Amino acid sequence: MIRFVLRRLGYGVPVIFGVAVIVFATVKIIPGDPVALLAGAGASEATKDELRSRMGLDDNLVMQFWHWLTSALQGDLGTSIAQHRPALPLVADAFGNTLILAAYATVLALLIGLILGGVAGLRPRSIAGRVCSAISSISVSAPQYSVALLLIIYVALNTGMFPVSGMYGDGGGFVDLLWHGFLPALTSALVPAGVIGRVFRASLLDALGMDFVEALRARGLSERRVLVHAVHNTLPSLLTMAGLQVGYLLGGVVFVETIFNWPGLGLLLFQSISARDLPVTQAGVLISALSFVLINIVVDTAHALIDSRVRTS
Amino acid sequence: MTSIAVSGSESTQAVTHARRRGRRSLPWTVWVFGTVAGLMVLLGIFGPYISGDVTAGNLQDRLLGIGQQGHLLGTDGQGRDVLGRLVAGARPSMIAAIVPVLAAGAIGSAVGIAAGMAGQRVHSLIMRTLDVFYAFPAVLLAIAIAASLGNGTLNTVISLSIVLIPPIARIAETETMQLQGMDFMESARASGAGSVAIARRQILPNVLPALIVYCTTLVGLALVFAGGLSFLGLGVAPPNPEWGQMINEQRQYMFTNPTIALIPAVVIFAASLVFNLLGDGLRDALDIRRSTR
Repeated sequence: MIRFVLRRLGYGVPVIFGVAVIVFATVKIIPGDPVALLAGAGASEATKDELRSRMGLDDNLVMQFWHWLTSALQGDLGTSIAQHRPALPLVADAFGNTLILAAYATVLALLIGLILGGVAGLRPRSIAGRVCSAISSISVSAPQYSVALLLIIYVALNTGMFPVSGMYGDGGGFVDLLWHGFLPALTSALVPAGVIGRVFRASLLDALGMDFVEALRARGLSERRVLVHAVHNTLPSLLTMAGLQVGYLLGGVVFVETIFNWPGLGLLLFQSISARDLPVTQAGVLISALSFVLINIVVDTAHALIDSRVRTS
Repeated sequence: MTSIAVSGSESTQAVTHARRRGRRSLPWTVWVFGTVAGLMVLLGIFGPYISGDVTAGNLQDRLLGIGQQGHLLGTDGQGRDVLGRLVAGARPSMIAAIVPVLAAGAIGSAVGIAAGMAGQRVHSLIMRTLDVFYAFPAVLLAIAIAASLGNGTLNTVISLSIVLIPPIARIAETETMQLQGMDFMESARASGAGSVAIARRQILPNVLPALIVYCTTLVGLALVFAGGLSFLGLGVAPPNPEWGQMINEQRQYMFTNPTIALIPAVVIFAASLVFNLLGDGLRDALDIRRSTR
């Protein structure tokens, strides 16, 4: 098992290096001169030149990448051009808020998805089963910005029950966080819930059609015990899908955070891209991709724990 | 196709069988959603000719409600007809949804088939490179690339194409790998066919059904992504209309006149739903069991 994890981690290293190359390259082609932005309007050419050489922008691209990478490994991701603060703590704070939202959304997505998929998988021919199946299919196509607007207009404004902006109100605290986060988390959860619902339904139907289910029934096990075994059989595919969806949540929250004004990584990235704040954009994309790689490793490891066939292959 | 029939291998017969059955009786979903999707493509082609000029508005007529003064869906904050802008905006929206899928479909399937046919080294080189792109959440990568390239439909198309290549290539690679070692592949090789000929005659026809299904659902996804890019202000530049950009522009009136921003939001939702359901229908018709999402 340890060997499996080590191999999986080792295999993540070249991927992370590739990620670093792409992040560096993408930001390099963003139009606009960061030096002009940092120096401010009316700065003399001499000031700009000095700044340029201090930022290492005179070097060739390979050297620039090397400097960026080595300082990144030491936790230095540059200084925000817009806010004149180190980029890493900025990004780390925002990432924490995104994690809260993603965790909240994951819980909601699992809850909704398992109910939808469970009903659709156990009672495929009933009206309830068909409705749940249809809801899963529809929610998979739902754009987050459309859902966010629908929820704001029809739930928040009409009932006045939920706040539509920010993380905390005057009170603060955990309950307040849950209350403020409900609509953004629900919006983010919809697509993953649909995907989980569809996968759970399909694998449940598959498992219930397998020979071992007949064998268990023949041995006189109660339907509930049979179901426990069938559900255990769906866990690997469910886990893989749920893990992928957590990654989706971490990256896909840009729209949700922008609309609901949630101070997370998505909102920060949106602001930094608009403000041509390269170091923050770089740091944000890098952190997001790193967490994505890490989640995939965790998912694979959990997969190997549940399913011994994966470990040996 | 003939080579499949000759082969006699069980699984390939199943493929042909399923495909024949699919041709005989397409499920109603394919007909209905296929027709709607076709109409949307037509709207994308002819929309701007029908709508006329929708970039200039009359400020006296701003924020009219649905059906007021002959404006079927009302007017926006600049006094422009919402329906007209939806019709005209169909073109950039459809281009941004379909062209990247076609481009990525061509490149991705070529890369995937090549990886599936190549030897061990080339195979892992290609797949590991794709893994790097997989390490980014797709939306984020699209936003990052679009932000680097700047505004415009072309840049949206480029960034979405890059994002869509890896998943398509992975499907093509998996499908190609499954064909390796089958009888008809062996006989094609034994008869002296070159790699390119095998890829075109033997592999492509077998890989195509899965790719078509996947690409159909990807059109729905690309529609949502493209709308999202313009929603963030990274797509079509104003005053030209595009569905996502219409949401972005009219979002400020959300609390006073919610319908204006809601209409394009619902249109994108419905359009992406149509392509996803068409993909589901095709998947059933072509009997492709593997989950392609």
